[in-house]
Amino acid sequence: MALDETVDQTRVSQRPLAKAGLQSERLLWPAKKGVFEEEVESMEDALGLTTLEKAVAWAQTRSMWPATFGLACCAIEMMSIVSSRYDIARFGMERFSSSPRQADLMIVSGRVAHKMAAPLRQVYDQMLEPKWVIAMGACASSGGMFNNYTILQGVDKIVPVDIHVPGCPPRPEALMEGIVRLHEKVLAGVPPAYQIRGVAS
Amino acid sequence: MATVERGPAIYAGSRIPQPVPTILKADPAIEDVLTVNFGPNHPSTHGVLRLIVDLHGEHVVGLSAVIGYLHTGFEKTMEQKTWWKGVTYPARIDYVSFQYNELVYVLAVEKLLQLEVPRKATWTRMALGELARIHSHLVYLGTAALELGAISMFWYCFRERDLVLDLFELVAGTRMHTRYFQVGGLAEDIPVGFYDEARAFCRRMPQALDEYEGILNSNAIWLERTRGVGVLSAADAIALGQTGPNLRASGVDWDLRRREPYLAYDEVDFDVAVRFGGDVFDRYKVRVDEMRESTRIVAQCLDRLEEMQGEPWIADDRKVVLPPREELHTSMESLIHHFKIVTEGFRVPAGEVYVGIESARGESGCYLVSDGGPRPWRAKFRAPSFAALHATAACCADAAVADLIAIVGSLDAVMGDVDR
Amino acid sequence: MGYESVPGLVETREAFGETTLVVDPARIAEACLHLRDEEAFNLLVDITATDYLGWAEAGVAGYYATAAGRDLNDPAAQGYARVPEPKPKRFTLSYHLLRVADDSARVRVQVWLDDGEAVETVVPVWPTADWHEREAWDMMGIPFTGHPNLTRILMEDDWEGHPLRKDYPIGGEPVRFSEAE
Repeated sequence: MALDETVDQTRVSQRPLAKAGLQSERLLWPAKKGVFEEEVESMEDALGLTTLEKAVAWAQTRSMWPATFGLACCAIEMMSIVSSRYDIARFGMERFSSSPRQADLMIVSGRVAHKMAAPLRQVYDQMLEPKWVIAMGACASSGGMFNNYTILQGVDKIVPVDIHVPGCPPRPEALMEGIVRLHEKVLAGVPPAYQIRGVAS
Repeated sequence: MATVERGPAIYAGSRIPQPVPTILKADPAIEDVLTVNFGPNHPSTHGVLRLIVDLHGEHVVGLSAVIGYLHTGFEKTMEQKTWWKGVTYPARIDYVSFQYNELVYVLAVEKLLQLEVPRKATWTRMALGELARIHSHLVYLGTAALELGAISMFWYCFRERDLVLDLFELVAGTRMHTRYFQVGGLAEDIPVGFYDEARAFCRRMPQALDEYEGILNSNAIWLERTRGVGVLSAADAIALGQTGPNLRASGVDWDLRRREPYLAYDEVDFDVAVRFGGDVFDRYKVRVDEMRESTRIVAQCLDRLEEMQGEPWIADDRKVVLPPREELHTSMESLIHHFKIVTEGFRVPAGEVYVGIESARGESGCYLVSDGGPRPWRAKFRAPSFAALHATAACCADAAVADLIAIVGSLDAVMGDVDR
Repeated sequence: MGYESVPGLVETREAFGETTLVVDPARIAEACLHLRDEEAFNLLVDITATDYLGWAEAGVAGYYATAAGRDLNDPAAQGYARVPEPKPKRFTLSYHLLRVADDSARVRVQVWLDDGEAVETVVPVWPTADWHEREAWDMMGIPFTGHPNLTRILMEDDWEGHPLRKDYPIGGEPVRFSEAE
C-alpha cells in the first residue's frame, strides 16, 4: 500500500495493537487453560490417537476448504476474513470452493429461511466426508433476532453443527477464533459433528 | 437532462419482455435449448438469488428469477417491536449499506412525530451515510470485479472497506449494523479522535480510487466484458422502477440528494455522476464517481462537525428520547419517563408517512402507518434492490452466459433488500 | 396541485406534506394511466398493502409524544382512552408515484378493498408493478385481475396463508429459559 506521507505514523491505528498494550486472552495468560482447552485435552487423552491419525488430522486442518455459503450480513464479514487484513490464507483456507464436492467446511453465514433450508441440506449432503459445519452468527446458531414464521431457529435443526460462533455479525477475528477452535478440535481427534449427533442432526 | 417525454407508449422500442416484464421467455421455435439453474447457492449471484436460464449454446434465450430465499419477515417482526427497539431491524435489510436503512426508518418516525433533530445529529448522519455509500460501492466493486476475473480488485477494495469499518467502529462500537441512529438523533456523542481518523481516510480514498481506475478503466478485458453489455435505456429504466446508480447510468439525472434534499444535502457541494450508455461499464463508472463525490461530502461534513463540538447530539424531547443517566438519580420524572419509554415505548401520533432517501442502491423508502400506539401498525421498506432485479430480464435480452454474471453484478442487488 | 381530473377520485388528503388520492378500486387502472400520461408520474416507486384488521379495537391512551408536548385540553392527554378513527374497509393498497422530471412531485394513490376483493393490475401502465403486485398477493392475499404471472414470490410456491395479514400468527418458537426448568 502506497503510504501517504501526511499520515501520522504515531497514531494508534498505525501501530500494532500489541505494542499499544492490548493483548488477546491467549497471550495474556499463556499458561491459563480455558474450559474449552481443558475439555479438548481430556478428549485427546481419552481417545489416544495414533501417529497416523494425528498426521491425518494435522493435514485436514492445514487446508480445510470452506464452501461458499454466504447468505446474509455474516457473509460480508466472512468475505472480510479473506481480505488482506484478516487473511484466512494463513490457514490455507482462502480457496472458497463453490463446488461442495471439493469443500470440507460449510460456514453457514446468515439467516436461513425455510425456503433456503432444502438447498442448504442438499449442499451439505453433496459434501464429502469428513465435513464440518460452522454456524456463524446468531441467526445461524439459533435464529438470532428473528423468531418468526420464516426463519429457521438455528441451522442445527437441519445439519449437525461443530462450532457456533456468536455475534451479529461476529467480527472477523471472532470467526477466526471459531475456525481455530475447530482446528484444535480436529487435532485433538474429536470426530465431526455428524458422527456424534447423526447426519440428520 | 435526459428525461422521458410525457405520455409515450412504454413498449415502443423497449427491451422489456412481454407479457411478463420480468421473465424472458424462450422463443419456442428455437430448438436445442438447455435449461440451467443458477441455484441459490452460487458464488456470483450476490447472495441467494436463483436464476432459471434457458441457453441456446452460449446465448441466453430465456430467464426468470426466483427470489425469497432470504425472506426474513422483517415487516411482520417490526410490528411486534416498539418504535425504539425496531431500529435494530432495518440495518439487516440492506446489509451492505446498513446505515441508510436505519436512517430511512428513523427519518420516517421523526416525520410522524414532527421531531426536530439537532444539527449535529443531522451532519453526523450525513457523514456516516456517505461512508456507508462508500462501503457499499467498495463491496460492489470488489465482488463485481472478482466475478469477471479481476481477482486482485477484491483485495484492494476490501482493504479500503476495512478502513471505513474502522471508522464505524470508532464511532459506534461495532463494525457493521451500528444502530447508531436513533429517533431524535444519535445514540452517543462523536468520540475524540474520530476527526483525525476520518480525515486520514478522506485523504487516502481518492488515491485508492485512482488505483482502482488505473487497474480497470483501460484494461482491455474489462472493457470488452462490460462495454455494450446489459444495455438499459432511460425509458426502460424508468418503466422498470430503477433508481440510483442504475438509473443515472442510463442517462437520467435523478438523485434524491439534489432533487428532494433531506438532512443537509442542500448545504454541501457535490456533483451527481450521470452517464449515458446504460451498460455495465457505465454503472461501474457511476459508482466509482459517486465514491469520489461521497469522499468530498464527508470532508465537508467533518469541517462543519468540528465547529459543533459540545453541542447536543440528540433531541431534548423527553417523551421520546431517554433522559441522560445522571438525571435518573435525582429526577422522579426522568425515572418514570425512562421506565415508560423502555418498557411500553413512546407513542407516535396516528398517520401514515413515506420517506425516501438516496441509498447506495437507489431510492430506499420507508412507509410507516401508526395507530397512535407504541408499535408500528405497518412498516414497509421500499427496497431498491427489489426494483433492480426487475431489470434482469430486460438487460439480459441478448446476452451470453458470461455477460449474465456481469449484468447481475452491475445491478448491485443485495438479497436481504430484495427479500426482506 | 389539482388532481380533480383523476378518474375515480373519491377523496384527497394532505398530511405531513404528502398528498394521498383515494380512488375507487374499480377505476384504479384508469386513474393510474391518467396519472402516468397526463400528470407524468412515470416512476412507480412502491405498492404497499396494509391490513387494518383490528384497527380501532384497542384503545390508545396515555401520553402522546409530540414535539409540541401535551395539550392539556385534549381529553386523550389526560389519560382517557381514545380510539383512532375507524377505516372503511379491511385492506388498503397504496401506490407511491414519482414524477422523474425537473418539476418532480410525489403522490400516493390509495384504494380500499375488502377481503378477497380483486383489483385490476397496473402492469400495463408501469411494468415494474409486476413483482410489487406479486408480493402484495403473496403477503396479503390481494388478487390482481389481469396480472400475467400472479404466483408466490417470497414464500414457497405451496405455502398456505398470507403471512403479513393481522390474523396470521407471527410464528417462531417459544424461547425456553434455563431457569424455567
